[in-house]
Amino acid sequence: MRYVVAGYVIVLTTLFLYGLQLVWRRRRLDRAVARVVRAPAPGPGPASVPAAGEPAPGLSGADR
Amino acid sequence: MSANRGVPAPPLQSRRGRWWTRGIGIAAAVATVCTVWLGLWVTPPDETQGNLVRLVYIHPGVAWVALYLAFGMAAVASLLYLWPRTRSLVWDRLAAAAVEVGVVFNVCTLVSGSIWGKPTWGVWWAWDARLTSTAVLLVLFLGYLALRRVPAEPEVRAKRSAFVALFAAVDIPIVHFSVLWWRTLHQGATVLNANLSPTIHGSMAWTLLLGFVALTLVFVWMLLVRYRIGVLEDWLGTGELDVALRERQAEGAAVGEEEAA
Repeated sequence: MRYVVAGYVIVLTTLFLYGLQLVWRRRRLDRAVARVVRAPAPGPGPASVPAAGEPAPGLSGADR
Repeated sequence: MSANRGVPAPPLQSRRGRWWTRGIGIAAAVATVCTVWLGLWVTPPDETQGNLVRLVYIHPGVAWVALYLAFGMAAVASLLYLWPRTRSLVWDRLAAAAVEVGVVFNVCTLVSGSIWGKPTWGVWWAWDARLTSTAVLLVLFLGYLALRRVPAEPEVRAKRSAFVALFAAVDIPIVHFSVLWWRTLHQGATVLNANLSPTIHGSMAWTLLLGFVALTLVFVWMLLVRYRIGVLEDWLGTGELDVALRERQAEGAAVGEEEAA
């Protein structure tokens, strides 16, 4: 039975830790995005922020 | 929003999308707990394998996710990226996400199989066709992940990665049919065998099925989160670059004004 328990523990722990790492990575990136969005624009320039939900200009080229 | 001039719109996730991800995550956790409960406490020991049969409730499930769902999806997504009519970095991101999750499941497949093999075959590892081809698959997709870390333009990276994914995917049918093509230690298919007549019944069959469902849900949840990470990473790449460019432009404009004054 110890092989069975070891198998379950190793597989489930690996999946759990990987899942936890994914959530952590995602939260870190969400915070980084929020920081970039909040950053004040340096100097005058035409307002070019599309409304939320519109495709981002930086990504539209990449998504073709 | 005037403070955010020049930065592309952030990749917002809809409320529905967030709820779907959360719902799938909860369903995956519940199904996994049920599988463990049924697998360890409810189902009877096997006449031949004894308690070792309990490993069978998770081992084929993780193998199914790694080989067929994750790497299969990566191959299809790579093909869709290379096809000119469907070319989009969405497919590249999906393939990358599927491969990363698939590698984790592939490691779980090899480890759980090895733990089952030690008391059954007497060895942790045998250079058996099924085991070796699965290990080769892991190495190939680790190579894919390594290749993605080589700095390159997104389109160049996507194209290279797609070719490597398709090359690696050739090993998937080899893994699947290895138990038929060669004389192997590994047993043949229990459910999807040549006669399509499962050789497992009752609570054991239901637990095995639940294990497949649970691990598939875990995979879908991980894929959704990993895909989202890819979207955010891509956006940050362009978003931060835009901020840096605007800063340089502003500096240049300020210097020009000073000189003119």
